[in-house]
Amino acid sequence: MRIPQVERSGEDVVVAGVCAGIARTLAVDPTFVRLVFALLAFASGAGIVAYVGAWALLPNPNEPEPARRRRRIIGTVLLAWSAILALTGLGLSNSIVWPLLIASAGAVLLRRESRTAGVALIVIGIILFVSHNSRGSATTLLAPGAVGVALIAIAGPWAWRAASDRARAEERADMAARVHDSVLQTLTLIQKDPDDARRLARRQERELRAWLYPSTATGTLADAVDAAAAEIEELHGVRVEVVHTGDAVLDERTQALVLAAREAMANAARHSGADEVSVFVEPNAVYVRDRGSGFDPDAVAADRRGLAESIRGRMERVGGTANIVSTPGEGTEVELHL
Amino acid sequence: MSASTRVVLVDDHDLFRAGVRAQLGEGIEIVGEAASVADAVQMIKELDPDVVLLDVHLGDGSGDAVIVQVAPERAGVKFLALSVSDAPEDVIAVIRAGARGYVTKAISGAELTDAVRRVADGDAVFSPRLAGFVLDAFRSGEATASDAELDQLTAREREVLQLIARGYRYKEIAARLHLSPRTVESHVSAVLRKLQLSSRHELTRWAAERRLI
Repeated sequence: MRIPQVERSGEDVVVAGVCAGIARTLAVDPTFVRLVFALLAFASGAGIVAYVGAWALLPNPNEPEPARRRRRIIGTVLLAWSAILALTGLGLSNSIVWPLLIASAGAVLLRRESRTAGVALIVIGIILFVSHNSRGSATTLLAPGAVGVALIAIAGPWAWRAASDRARAEERADMAARVHDSVLQTLTLIQKDPDDARRLARRQERELRAWLYPSTATGTLADAVDAAAAEIEELHGVRVEVVHTGDAVLDERTQALVLAAREAMANAARHSGADEVSVFVEPNAVYVRDRGSGFDPDAVAADRRGLAESIRGRMERVGGTANIVSTPGEGTEVELHL
Repeated sequence: MSASTRVVLVDDHDLFRAGVRAQLGEGIEIVGEAASVADAVQMIKELDPDVVLLDVHLGDGSGDAVIVQVAPERAGVKFLALSVSDAPEDVIAVIRAGARGYVTKAISGAELTDAVRRVADGDAVFSPRLAGFVLDAFRSGEATASDAELDQLTAREREVLQLIARGYRYKEIAARLHLSPRTVESHVSAVLRKLQLSSRHELTRWAAERRLI
């Protein structure tokens, strides 16, 4: 079961971004959450304590991981304290508040690993409640109190599960829509116009992959080569397989590397006659290979400006090299180094 | 090869199995097909094939579950993973479970036939993508002196993997590095062994994540 992640807001900050963070997770207006905290502040200051507790408990998106554990403990204690303040503020006596709190803690533990501890705490809560309220006027509260504790113990986890089931159902619907948009459309087209379908199928495969296995980096060398490969596929209807190891930031030099690689891919797609081009990207090199017709690099006509200018010239201007290995009948590899 | 290579095909898509059946070349005989982990385990134990072509994702589990259940009883059966997945953890998990190689489903019929033969002969088969994953996992900069021999690649192994990632075939790699094809194959097998036995952080993390899912 996935627990929805609540983070303090980094942008919408009045005090520490707690309210905005909670509001974003619940998808409600931040003003509403702020109002709840403000109202709770009137219940013996429970709102203020709760705010500080939540501040300690919720991670800041811009903050590193360490020291979380201590903050978590402090936050939980403060939140429990604010619950006590709020409940006594509402006029409930200590003999009801404390058992309720202990039983709630039990219900929380029940959802985590320690089942037995959870059950034990709930039982303790109920016993405390019964022993303190079985005599005198409080007896009348016994039944509804016990029911309340039981409801929290049962309904809490259930509500949680219902919420996560809904999230999963939404995810499935999203997936279905995605598949419908791409795969079904392509299948329909295959029946009508096989020539266009191949290109469309390839593009949608790329998009679906990008969605299923999102790349962690954007604006990097590997990312830019991927984008260039997608363009060439689109333009020439040839499959371009990109494999990378490591990555680099995009600067003037790596940008030139990407453009030279793009030209090499375009050449392979246009002239080699191969239906697949392999591209391998390292932080300071790109290799573009095809198994097409190949050519004699020394005999390239002078009007083939792509090779001389767009590939060699571009690499040399940024202090790199371009090496072209081609054998007629066996294919071509363009090696670009920075 | 005197007799034909006996293959069991495990994939949960009928259409894909039909495609592979039509594409596999001479000398390869598909003796059985299964669509689930349970069926596959039973069928492989019964038929004792030379090679199992194994999809990474199956309806009732993942490909590595088949290997884990079959391998102890049928040590002679070799597994070749076949997948559309681009996720390194999927691929690494099935290799670490004992598969002798990994190829993507976009592979041509002739190349797949060749890959099956090579796996049957005991070789390891790396696709360019797998070579890329492995280079990432054994990145040179992160290797330290305390790394065990199993946790790092030799310069030669790295060179061979790089050429595989660039789309070279074993024969072409051999010619380029002035080695015999046999030597290239032994380098790739050594990398496969390291991949399966290494305790390197990235690999164990991938494996651990996979088991949690």
